[in-house]
Amino acid sequence: MDLNQQHFLYPSTLFVSNTPSVVTTILGSCVAVCLYDPVLKIGGINHYMLPLWNGEGLASPKYGNIAIEKLVEKMYQQGSKKANLVAKVFGGGEVIETTIKQFNIGERNIKIALEMLEMYKIPIIAQSVGGKLGRKIQYSTSSGEVKHKFIDKSVQP
Amino acid sequence: MSKRKNLTDEDLLAELKLRFEQNKKALEELKSLNEELILVNKKLEESESLKSHFVSNITNEIINPFTSILGLSKAILSVDKENWKRVFSMVALIHAEAFSLDFQFRNIFVAAKIEAGEISPEIFTCDIQNLVESVIDDFKYEARKKRVNVKSQYNLPHKSDESFVFKTDPEKLKLILSNLLRNAINFSYEDSSVEINVWHSENNTLQISVKDYGIGISKENHTIIFDRFNRLDSGINSINRGHGLGLSVSRAIIDMLKGKIEIESEIGQGACFTLVIPESEANSEGFASDANEAFFNDFDQF
Repeated sequence: MDLNQQHFLYPSTLFVSNTPSVVTTILGSCVAVCLYDPVLKIGGINHYMLPLWNGEGLASPKYGNIAIEKLVEKMYQQGSKKANLVAKVFGGGEVIETTIKQFNIGERNIKIALEMLEMYKIPIIAQSVGGKLGRKIQYSTSSGEVKHKFIDKSVQP
Repeated sequence: MSKRKNLTDEDLLAELKLRFEQNKKALEELKSLNEELILVNKKLEESESLKSHFVSNITNEIINPFTSILGLSKAILSVDKENWKRVFSMVALIHAEAFSLDFQFRNIFVAAKIEAGEISPEIFTCDIQNLVESVIDDFKYEARKKRVNVKSQYNLPHKSDESFVFKTDPEKLKLILSNLLRNAINFSYEDSSVEINVWHSENNTLQISVKDYGIGISKENHTIIFDRFNRLDSGINSINRGHGLGLSVSRAIIDMLKGKIEIESEIGQGACFTLVIPESEANSEGFASDANEAFFNDFDQF
């Protein structure tokens, strides 16, 4: 067994730690953005379900625009410099078939990640997005490595 | 030669027409998008102003109870021995103020945790009847003050000597129920009742309804009561205290437990909130059983 701390990341939450951790999460149409700072060797990850907060309910990281902003802020709090950060993006599969474009949540979730990371000028060094399958990923915050596997199941998150 | 030129003209016209139509369509799409944007913008503006309202509100909600707790306890300290009976009523008041403060803080902290993305379900096997009764017990003084009779009824399958157990997050379920019950008592008229029904349905979901016979909620307000800091009755003369976080917190937690909440209410008809939550699959030790080593034997690396 490795000595890394294990963490299961639930939807609408985020995780940033400066102790080496292995974060596991399961993605359907949800998207997870992994940020990594190769200088400090720390990382953080979010898991959002919808692209934009529209003022309903709480302003939680259930929504991409909030989840990404909060993740970047938390990385700064840990001492990361913006110029050092790199990103990996996963998820956004259309696990529920739909013909109505408006309902392509996966696609819209991916788009907001790409747009916001572009805005922050954080380069995306790897991604596995879209498609029809769910994903299970395991992110090692100390090395920035992501283990990734498709799952043939229509998982909701 | 001329024929070819004519054809080009027609082509040109057809093309122009097509482009005009495309333009028109794009404009229409833009218009509807714009309308959507205006709506969202308005909502965000509202949320901002509600947030600043929240700050002034919370000053009242926290400073005032503290002032009365301090004042009352000071009064108790100076009570003469022969008047000790007066202490009882003062202690009851202190308890009521402290209880309401504690409850509000709980909501505020959970809301802050949810907004920071730092909250996750902590699943245990719980005795549901016990849990519901403990919530009712927490609110017995509030209910007594308004002379509201809180009745509970259970329809849960259980073996003769064991009570019904259900896997869920007990702390969060308690908070949801507390919010529902508190609202029900607050919005009830005096000398009425609140009914809590708990039942288990065949697809392994737990359903809990909280029904009051109070002022009710109009249909158009059924969704906005879940927005943060939103209180339907937030005027300065409002007799109902609170900061408008309870239901938005509840909604977010219900989401987390993969459940849902339904409202049945009309103005003047009371309100009935029904909470539906499925049994959690996770076992008590969290996700340990899910972290099987074999799963990532053939993985892609990024």
